[in-house]
Amino acid sequence: MSTDQPVHRRRFSGYPLTWRLPIIFWQILFFVGPLLFMVAMSFFLVKNYRMVEAFEFKNWEKMLTRGYFWDSYFLTLILATLSTIVTSLLAFPAAFALAFKVSPSVRRWAIFLLVIPFFTSYLVRIFSWYVILAESGVINAMLATIGLGPYTMLNTKFGTLVGYMTLTLPLVMVLQTFALSNIDRNLVQAAHNLGCSPWRAVYTVIVPLAKTGLIVAALFCFILSFGDFVSPYYLGGSKPPTLPILIIDTTKSGQQWPRAAVVAVMMMVTLITIAFAALSLAYRKRASR
Amino acid sequence: MSVPNNRPLVVFDKVSKRFGEFVAVKALNFSIDAGEFIAIMGPSGCGKTTTLRMLAGLEQPTEGTIRINDQLMNNVKPHERDTPMVWQSLALFPFLNARENVEFGLKMRNQDAATRRAKALDWLERLGVAEFAERNVETLSGGQRQRVALARSLVTEPRMLLLDEPLSALDAHLVIRMQSVLTRLQRELGITFVYVTHSQSEAFAMADRVVIMSNGEIAQTGLPRDIYREPASRFVAEFVGLNNIISGKVIGSTDGIVSVDSPIGRFTVGSVSAAGGQGGSSVYRTGDQVTFVIAADLVEVSRPQPQADNVVVCSLISEEFIGSVVTLFLETSDGTELKVQIQERELETLDHTSGGTFYLSWRQGNAHLLPS
Repeated sequence: MSTDQPVHRRRFSGYPLTWRLPIIFWQILFFVGPLLFMVAMSFFLVKNYRMVEAFEFKNWEKMLTRGYFWDSYFLTLILATLSTIVTSLLAFPAAFALAFKVSPSVRRWAIFLLVIPFFTSYLVRIFSWYVILAESGVINAMLATIGLGPYTMLNTKFGTLVGYMTLTLPLVMVLQTFALSNIDRNLVQAAHNLGCSPWRAVYTVIVPLAKTGLIVAALFCFILSFGDFVSPYYLGGSKPPTLPILIIDTTKSGQQWPRAAVVAVMMMVTLITIAFAALSLAYRKRASR
Repeated sequence: MSVPNNRPLVVFDKVSKRFGEFVAVKALNFSIDAGEFIAIMGPSGCGKTTTLRMLAGLEQPTEGTIRINDQLMNNVKPHERDTPMVWQSLALFPFLNARENVEFGLKMRNQDAATRRAKALDWLERLGVAEFAERNVETLSGGQRQRVALARSLVTEPRMLLLDEPLSALDAHLVIRMQSVLTRLQRELGITFVYVTHSQSEAFAMADRVVIMSNGEIAQTGLPRDIYREPASRFVAEFVGLNNIISGKVIGSTDGIVSVDSPIGRFTVGSVSAAGGQGGSSVYRTGDQVTFVIAADLVEVSRPQPQADNVVVCSLISEEFIGSVVTLFLETSDGTELKVQIQERELETLDHTSGGTFYLSWRQGNAHLLPS
């Protein structure tokens, strides 16, 4: 290189790298690494209750050809979907009221109150449902005074759903409130101005405008429900098991960590697929021809 | 139009609107005729947008009544009215394409898909944006979006269109083009346009009648030219056009000519307006405090002393080049600022760069006495 020309070398700039490095490091160490290890482990074998490194498809064959795996899989999928739909629908009127019908200070207090449930351990909150849902619990006692019941609510799918919603409802409500608060009010008024009644505006204008936030809220609800162990175990009676319970059961029975890894990988694949689909739907722009 | 000719389309009767302590509109009385292009103009916070929003039902009057077509509108919900509005932000729905935006009002009236589509395309065609019918509205330019918003409001064939500063976000050259689009549309359709703006040029260029508002009240109503030449108050004189406002004492009044003694000299002013507005000379008595207005474009400026009445001696402070016209800012010996607007080509004959004394003068009939 000639010396009389200034050398334009790309100068090393530490600034952007300083900010990027931690997240890259974190993701590799705590996400990509364990994930690869889990995938690898699903090909390991267990001999004399000890795991040995191998590359065999036996675990995959064993799990994916068994009816009980697929029963668990679809049960978990259906329960999480149901939880997502019911939670989103129950949260919406409350979030709508917080976004449109109350003053900003009331909204702030309401969001603060919705955060409070997260102060207590989720497990403690699930146990507290025993008192309410048991055969001799609060609800059945109240129903008995008008001559109804007792109804079995513990150890049912209903119990599982109540547990899922204990975890997700406050979160979904907060996310939906944010999504609805960010809507441009002029657009809602413009709809009224063009002859759209307030009821009709909810689904013709407000839901489409808040679409991204509403879908993200629902996605969080699905992910949390799908992977939850506590609710189906303590309130749902664990039979038939959901996938998280199946993982625990598999590891307990004969140290079958590789088979549990198969279940875990299947869960990851399902969640990644659904999250990807949901987010691309959430951020899809109006096509322009 | 099915509106009876002698009845106004809209009547505001002592309409007030308060937001908590703040009074946005005070006891407003005015009416709008069918087929009229009316502009409501004023500085921000004067109540013009509130007035328009009350017409659309987006705000309810605190007191008074609003009637449209002889029907009391106070408790009629926005969606039950036929008062489409073009918004300052345009308020196009981002999740719908241009055609679907235009179809929105028809859909709300439960028209079938084929009719909706045909009408929407027809209106987009009429406003020259048919080629963008299937485009995402966010990809359109400001002028194109403006036309889509207009089509969306007009597609339901309303009797009246409300416009809330619709051109304020456009480039200057587009504003001029859209002004002619709007006036042409209004003439062709024969419907009422109620146009809210803070821009004098938009209001004067388009409207048949202008309402000037200030602090929630009407300051003046009239034809654009009358408001421009004969402001009814100091506020209007300062808000509209470029005016010199001079106060002084009456020292004599004969045959409709009032002589005024002011700090910058003695002037004579005709007290009867061309429109026959504000009474005869008998109103003005010697010693009365009066204010008169002389528009900057009606002042002559010269270097040699002119043979005329109403002459003021000034020195030039600064000049503002606008284009075809130039505004000169001059100062009298006692520090009073006066403004003159002349053609740019006249400037060369004035030898204005050499400093020294300038003489301002105006014809007596061009000065306008403000009502006391």
